[in-house]
Amino acid sequence: MHLECKNLNFTYPENDVPVIQNLSFLIKNPGFNAVFGPSGVGKTSLAKLIAKMDTHFTGTIVTQDMDIILYSYNQERLPGWSGTGSHLDKVTPEGKHPLKDQLIDIFELKPILRSRFSKLSMGQQNRINLVRYLLQDFDLLIMDESLANVDEKLRETIILSIKDLFADKMFLYISHNLMEVSSFCREILVFGKPSGNKTCSIIQGRDYIKGYAPDKQSLDRTMLEIMNAV
Amino acid sequence: MKKKRIHILAVFLFTALLSVASADEIELNYRLKWLFNTSVAGDIYADAKGYFSEAGLKVHVREGSPEKNAINELELGHADFGVASADQVIRALDKGAKIRVLAQLFQVNPMQWIYRADQPRIKTLDDLRGRNIGITFGGNDETVMNTLFAKAGITSKDVKITGVRFDFTPFFKREVDVWPVYFNSQGVILKDRLEKEGERVYFFNPADFGVNFVANSVISSEKVWKNRPEVVKKFMDALLKGWEAAMDPANEADVLMEVKKQDKESNDELRRLQLIATRELIKPSAGVKIGTMDVEAWKQTEAIMLNEKQIKKPVHVESVLKQ
Amino acid sequence: MLFRRIYQFLIVYSIGLISLLLIKTALSLSDYVIPGFGLILETFQEVFDTYFLDAMNTMSVTVLGQCVSIALAFGVGIAGRRSSWMGSFIKVTAYNIQAYPIVALAPIIFILLGDGFISRLLIASMICYFPLLLSVLGIMATPVEDIEHFYIITGRMRWQLEVKIRAFENLSKLTTVISGSATLAMAGTIVAEFIAANAGIGYSIRVALYQSDLAKILIALFLIGIIISIYQGCLETLGEQIKTRWSVSKGGNPR
Repeated sequence: MHLECKNLNFTYPENDVPVIQNLSFLIKNPGFNAVFGPSGVGKTSLAKLIAKMDTHFTGTIVTQDMDIILYSYNQERLPGWSGTGSHLDKVTPEGKHPLKDQLIDIFELKPILRSRFSKLSMGQQNRINLVRYLLQDFDLLIMDESLANVDEKLRETIILSIKDLFADKMFLYISHNLMEVSSFCREILVFGKPSGNKTCSIIQGRDYIKGYAPDKQSLDRTMLEIMNAV
Repeated sequence: MKKKRIHILAVFLFTALLSVASADEIELNYRLKWLFNTSVAGDIYADAKGYFSEAGLKVHVREGSPEKNAINELELGHADFGVASADQVIRALDKGAKIRVLAQLFQVNPMQWIYRADQPRIKTLDDLRGRNIGITFGGNDETVMNTLFAKAGITSKDVKITGVRFDFTPFFKREVDVWPVYFNSQGVILKDRLEKEGERVYFFNPADFGVNFVANSVISSEKVWKNRPEVVKKFMDALLKGWEAAMDPANEADVLMEVKKQDKESNDELRRLQLIATRELIKPSAGVKIGTMDVEAWKQTEAIMLNEKQIKKPVHVESVLKQ
Repeated sequence: MLFRRIYQFLIVYSIGLISLLLIKTALSLSDYVIPGFGLILETFQEVFDTYFLDAMNTMSVTVLGQCVSIALAFGVGIAGRRSSWMGSFIKVTAYNIQAYPIVALAPIIFILLGDGFISRLLIASMICYFPLLLSVLGIMATPVEDIEHFYIITGRMRWQLEVKIRAFENLSKLTTVISGSATLAMAGTIVAEFIAANAGIGYSIRVALYQSDLAKILIALFLIGIIISIYQGCLETLGEQIKTRWSVSKGGNPR
């Protein structure tokens, strides 16, 4: 399983300036990886290209041994005509109901299953949205700020559980949280500022798993590396 | 330079003279009952031949329609003279309108019924029994037909009544036997069309069976009639002169040419046939003076409307007929 | 909602009537041009029963015509929502046909179908259909990306679901358009009756116009106004109830 981009270039049809220019990188094997960088550098555009939502690019994207690629983002909504619990029931594939129950516990969703989506807080909305993606069959799941507005402690629990439960899958986690990506991600694809002349680079994260013992020094080093790459 | 000044002066004087001349003309609005066609040949001819101008009048002859009612316009001051049917006049009198009838244009009502000659001829009213008769509900033809039925003791069980509109298809398809038409317009068209297919037609005229329902007449408001008698006289003289000339067979070609300028709808031959038909209704014989009031027919029209509950009380229509 | 509609109409009608009566008095017009209040009342008593039945007759065609046009608009709107060749063909055809004023097509309809119920129904539906179609096409052709994305990327999207999502998300707009189109359907029916039918309040207005009877026309207008107000009020109330029951989702903004 590997994800590789070679000389990727992408420009929005209505724009002259390319969003992605000559991007090349390789991420191998399953794992929880991140895409990090300031706003407007093309993180979401890259995610959509990988998920085959847009094919107007030049260069190559290789998604070896990954047949199903899903892209999820925050601000997605569930249809308003049913409660969140009943929606989850409907979109859960056969045989995955135990996993659903497990995820509901981990994501602390039990109290809100009877509520309408529109009545939930943004954090709750993002959690329920992510759960329904995790219940689908996939090889690569791109999580575009999928845990925005979720409190820090729960976010950590969720990420560590995902790494534990879906160890054979690849994830690309788009986030602006430096500490989070440094701690929990294996490889971090860092985009440089659009104004600067820095290109894209891959930095090794700490890739903590459940029961980890934090190593402040090495974490600081990783964070510094990322900051230098931006 | 001097020459140029003389030119300018000449133009100025000419314009001034013209405006003095036109200021002397009395401007009038004349609202017809319907669109320009051969039915209003006399109105068109009086204007085109300058009879109004000769009388010192500048008359704007305007087309009519169901929405452009001459009586309303007289009251509102938008028209000085107009054409209205007798039923309109009688209804208006019933509702307190102050109008005067100046001339009865149609001596014979053009509203008649057409039927095919392969059907038994309607010689008596009893011959209507068993036929499918077309009626425009709410129209004058309904009032007249009801009067005829009452006269002959015909009830709704004896005939089949079908409501009709502008589309002649039910008559062509023989779904309706007796179809209401204006003798000098649709009557001519239908007759012409059926004759081309080898079919002959008859017309059923209620007047032949003693029902004289008056049609179009020239009217003015009581105010105009009382306060401007000289204008009324000038207008009516010019108008009736126009009608007399228009109905004179010697002027046929000229009249048709003038009508054609206003009426682009019909073809030349149809227009000629319509003019001949109009002549029969306006001037049935050489001795009839155009505009003659048939007072008895007016009284009968009022009696019919009273009987049919179209008016609430007698209006004594004869009192507003001023010739 | 219902009562507000009714009293709003009564206010507008009264203003219109009072203005007419003021003009009548100011210009000393006869009852033939503008009927007096007494004559209007008298005529009301005379023709109310007949006109009420006529107006209900018109109303029944209106309701049916509106149902037909809603079905048609949704059918064409759903078929034409895609940006495919067929979708844009349907859209362009629908827009082009709209360029013809229905009133101009009406005589052809009457000649082909006669002046009975079907012609009235067809004209009412057609007049009501086009504005509905524009709204439905607009709604159906605009993706609700933040909801649809999940179904598309997971391969679960079906056309029925797509229509359901778009209809649900635009429920307020749809109910407003549908209740607004009731007026158009009523206008369509009346126009059809006025031109060529033999029944309904439009036909009665034409007869009254033949007889230059403005009092009758005023009563017909009163009945049309009050009935359409009640109908629209009912539609709006129904729309509100559907909205409450379906509980419109308001979280997040469409992207």
